[in-house]
Amino acid sequence: MTAVGRSRWMTFLLYGSITVLAVVWLVPMLSALATATLPLSQTRAGWWNLSPADLTFGNFARAWDQGLSRYAVNSFIITILAVVLTVSAGSLAAYAYARMAFRLKATTYFLLITTMIVPVQIILIPMLPWFRTLGLNAGPQEYLGIALVHTAFGAGWAIFMLGAFFAQIPEDLLEAARIDGAGWFDVFRRIALPLALPGIVSFAIIDFVFVWNDLLLALTLLDRAHQPLTVGLANLQTPHLAQEDLVAAGTIMAILPPLVLFAALNRFYVRGLFAGATKG
Amino acid sequence: MASRRTSTVAPPPPATAPPAAWVAQRRPRSRAERFAPYIFVAPLLAVFAAFYLWPALVTVLSSFFRWGLLRPWSPVEPARWRFVGLENYTTTLTDPSFWNAVLNTAVWLVVFPLLVVGFSLLVSILIWYTTRAGTVFRTVFILPMTISLDAAGIIWSFIYNADPQIGVLNAALDRLGILGADWRLGPLELHPGSWLSNPGVLHLGFADVRLTNLALVIPAFWAFTGFGVITITAGLTAVPYELVEAAKVDGANAWQTARHILVPALRRPLVVVGVVSVIFALRTFDIVYVMTGGGPAQDTMVLALLLWQQAFAFLDTPQGGQATAIAVLMSAVLVAGSWPYLRQLLAGRSR
Repeated sequence: MTAVGRSRWMTFLLYGSITVLAVVWLVPMLSALATATLPLSQTRAGWWNLSPADLTFGNFARAWDQGLSRYAVNSFIITILAVVLTVSAGSLAAYAYARMAFRLKATTYFLLITTMIVPVQIILIPMLPWFRTLGLNAGPQEYLGIALVHTAFGAGWAIFMLGAFFAQIPEDLLEAARIDGAGWFDVFRRIALPLALPGIVSFAIIDFVFVWNDLLLALTLLDRAHQPLTVGLANLQTPHLAQEDLVAAGTIMAILPPLVLFAALNRFYVRGLFAGATKG
Repeated sequence: MASRRTSTVAPPPPATAPPAAWVAQRRPRSRAERFAPYIFVAPLLAVFAAFYLWPALVTVLSSFFRWGLLRPWSPVEPARWRFVGLENYTTTLTDPSFWNAVLNTAVWLVVFPLLVVGFSLLVSILIWYTTRAGTVFRTVFILPMTISLDAAGIIWSFIYNADPQIGVLNAALDRLGILGADWRLGPLELHPGSWLSNPGVLHLGFADVRLTNLALVIPAFWAFTGFGVITITAGLTAVPYELVEAAKVDGANAWQTARHILVPALRRPLVVVGVVSVIFALRTFDIVYVMTGGGPAQDTMVLALLLWQQAFAFLDTPQGGQATAIAVLMSAVLVAGSWPYLRQLLAGRSR
């Protein structure tokens, strides 16, 4: 009897504490959501006193018209370009690191892995003159430039995570195809790639979130016409301008794409992070 | 390692001599096979060399010269080089604003990993016990991970808003009647309310730690804890259920089970979370940039932001060299500090 009583009390305590923590964890999101969907006057009187009748989507429309649309387009271009480059070059290389022997393999692997640790500041300062030399400092080439930097800095994660997925493929399958006369590239494309696809999707999602959320590179390397949403938000966030409604609406719009991706492909996302974090 | 795997591609041992046709079929392909790996790695390595190795090398080299961003140091124009040896390093290392940034970064390096590891361990164990609703709770804690750090900073600026009519935190403190209080507890000075200007100071004798930094650590912690929760809950799935059952039979309560069975099984995930959050803390830029810009005065200036300002905010002064010196110092500290982890990582892969 006492044992049952204690465990019931314990269960209540466990559920109670995690519920309280989860609610606290959601307050910042609720605060931003409320600020984004309320008129400024209501925000000024405490968003927690809101009445549902006040809710409006006007803030989103205004933020969108005040230049956020351009930032959003830039965000999509940069992110998609960077993810495509990283995933394609990364899965080719990751396959080689996981499945083939070649000279300087250990050295180059080590160098690539350092991108997971070394801060991006190590390349930031000479980057602008370097972009000028390469002709990546103006016009649409800027998109390519920053996407290539993201590719270089995602290289460590790419071979680390994608390599883990390629390493899981049973050797027998690859060997069988090779005996049947398939060349290396055929083995990669017809056998390894389809088998590692779930892993590649998780990596692509993580890379998407990572590139989408980058502020430092975009702020440093891009001119106003090519900056993404993160920079747009940082520009909007001027404490002395009374425009919390616009800032909040912009913030919600900026976090929406990764969030939707996350919600739609939650399993892939978690699995990818899991593989990146615990395998190795 | 992979070399062993690929060695199975080689013909089987002579005991089962391969048929002549098979050998003949393989020979012509072996040349292509030898080149194949290089073709596979070439695109990534080319991008990596051009957009990481080369710029990193230029950063290291240019840290020995004096230059400003208006006329950046260029490896191909020796005529304009102004070699200063280690001067950028000595200037940096004797600059009070550098040490101020080091102190603030040190606050991040200590507080942030402790918060992340401690809290995500607690949450993960709670989630593990609440099996039925576990996934829902886990999603709540993972959710902020997808948010960019500057968006997280902005969201928390709303929370921290000093006006109790706008900021929910101060509204709560106002209800409790402690808003604007002024406390002194030994070396600790607290002013709850003005979170982003001056929430308090910890006087350590040799230095004053500004608690404004803690106000910035919290949003980062909020955004990053999801990583800890994912990693640790993943580690918990590996705990053998029989062990937990056996403990229950022996009369262990939830606390004892967590303390003696779950935590010891989690050493590896905990190390991963700890190391990754240390790396994260030293790289901190976005949140500080968007919430305080390093201010008020230099109270929240961290190394990553100091470097950025020296390189890009003062175009007309010859501080580029000093900025690169900071970048080199930061990278050296990170690589040296995470060296054991890095080696473990590489060893684990080649096992």
